[in-house]
Amino acid sequence: MDVLRLPLLGSFLRWRHSRQALQLVLLIVASAVVVHGLFGPQLAPRNLATVLTSIHWRGLLIVSVLAAGNLFCTGCPMILVRDAGRRLYHPALRWPRRLRGKWLGIALMVLVLFAYELFDLWSLPRATAWLVIGYFGLALVVDVVFSGATFCKHLCPIGQFNFTASTMAPTELRVVDVATCRSCRTADCIKGRFVDRGPESRPGDRRLVERGLQPARTLVQRGCELGLFLPVKVGNIDCTMCLDCVHACPRDNIALATRVPGAELLETRRRSGIGRLAQRTDIAALALVFTFASLVSAFAMTTPGYAVEQHLAEMIGVHSEAPVLLVLFAFGLLVAPLVLLGSAGLITRGLAGGVPFTARELIVRYAFAMIPFGFGVWLAHYGFHLLTGILTVVPVLQSAVIDAFGHAMLGEPAWRWVGMQPGSVFPIQLGLVVLGAAGSFGLVHATSLRDHPSAPARASMPWLAIVAILTTTALWILAQPMEMRAVGFFG
Amino acid sequence: MHVRVAPRAHSRVLRAALILTCAASAAWMAGCRSDPSDQITAEWMLDPSPPVAGGALVARVALRDNAQRPVVGGKLHLEGQMSHPGMTPVLSDLIERGNGNYEAHLKLTMAGDWVLVLTGEIPGGARITKQIELPGVRTAG
Repeated sequence: MDVLRLPLLGSFLRWRHSRQALQLVLLIVASAVVVHGLFGPQLAPRNLATVLTSIHWRGLLIVSVLAAGNLFCTGCPMILVRDAGRRLYHPALRWPRRLRGKWLGIALMVLVLFAYELFDLWSLPRATAWLVIGYFGLALVVDVVFSGATFCKHLCPIGQFNFTASTMAPTELRVVDVATCRSCRTADCIKGRFVDRGPESRPGDRRLVERGLQPARTLVQRGCELGLFLPVKVGNIDCTMCLDCVHACPRDNIALATRVPGAELLETRRRSGIGRLAQRTDIAALALVFTFASLVSAFAMTTPGYAVEQHLAEMIGVHSEAPVLLVLFAFGLLVAPLVLLGSAGLITRGLAGGVPFTARELIVRYAFAMIPFGFGVWLAHYGFHLLTGILTVVPVLQSAVIDAFGHAMLGEPAWRWVGMQPGSVFPIQLGLVVLGAAGSFGLVHATSLRDHPSAPARASMPWLAIVAILTTTALWILAQPMEMRAVGFFG
Repeated sequence: MHVRVAPRAHSRVLRAALILTCAASAAWMAGCRSDPSDQITAEWMLDPSPPVAGGALVARVALRDNAQRPVVGGKLHLEGQMSHPGMTPVLSDLIERGNGNYEAHLKLTMAGDWVLVLTGEIPGGARITKQIELPGVRTAG
């Protein structure tokens, strides 16, 4: 099914300014986050900055990926600000070749997650506001210096998270008829659509063109800034669903097509702007960070999590949380994945016999199969906060109006409006983790069938064991009592 | 080849963003008034101290004005909020015990960091907000 052909929704998405409309809404929300974060009460449950980011933005981001696709990149307000900045200063440089890829984005993603835990950003409205301002500033600076969507493709931590999660989305932008693309000579989907200043131009304009004082062609719609050429585009990695390709294509040959979530992770075709997935160690690393960070992030909010931190502090002999968290992150995001997947790679080579891949190549190939499980855990975690706190925005808004105007113009804050009871959400969380694990089991099996057709069952065993271990760990974490710490753990 | 980007809605969007920012700033400045809470001091007493998650907590607070006179007749409420947004707060009304002393009964439902927030109106119609942090509340045992 082509979502762009649906009544109402399709018409809206095909409207040239649909993205800007979404971006404007999120820009207003971001402005509220910044203003209330900087100037509102500094108690996290009573401030829009912390409530909207920790509860609604994180939860709706992951839920919308599952329901529709990478909507939060579609509506990213930073691009609106960046576009405005480019009206003043047009970028002249290209992002250096040696800095391309996902490594910088992974580092920034880990840094943000680390800072979130170290500084307990969920409890600090003013710091959250400054983080948002910093994000906008970084996106603006990078993209007015470098052309294309450099910040989105190579740097944005949220973008890297969204690209990975959107491999599980039910939709994908793809061409309708490849034969139509074969006859296309202009490649508008990636180059953009231009209009010539032909004979119908005003005489004054034609003279200015002849004298080189005015451009001969005008760009009326840009193409894909992330370098995805639609006839060869596969999957959602690096796709921000900006819909520029849809608006640029003169043959109306691009669809927002429904698809099987996760199936793209088995594709071996060369992908435009990406290459072959099995040869992208950086994207495999991103998949593993995405997966294992889901467990680290959830674990850090539990009573055993704090107990582990305390033991680590005593072992190391420190009084500061930073080295303890460093150890935890290094173990969770580096040691554990390397040990588990490295062992699985060696065992597969031993069990399957005649495997044409090295252990490293096996790790890269099977890393993508972990994404559904990671997605399930993120959905369980962020979904919990969304479901249990979705209504808190109402009393916080009411309170913000009282702070601003001195009168309860929206009524007295209804602080009892929170959301579902945690006990009611727990079965949903379990179900999401189990579904994610089922997806990973399926992908492991399918990868083994693809790569080891002579011995798929033996080849898949170590990887299935990893998914089982991770699933057990996730279910154990979800069953632990939560402990919300905000002040420095060490006093 | 020279390329000029065709006019888009960006200038309209930029204008809208600027108007929004000015409106938000005006709203904030309208809210910048002297806070009556600054004229009131609150002395907290908790039983048990330190408080325990899952158990009953009696919070007593003595309100005094800047001349150390008891603040009587207040219509006050107490919220127990956790440090993480979205967690269910615990709510109670503060009962006046005379001489500017108020008392509320709560039950902190979870281990972690809590903040007790006193809000309400005092005679004269002024709204006050006072709070006390309860870090590291543990469960019993």
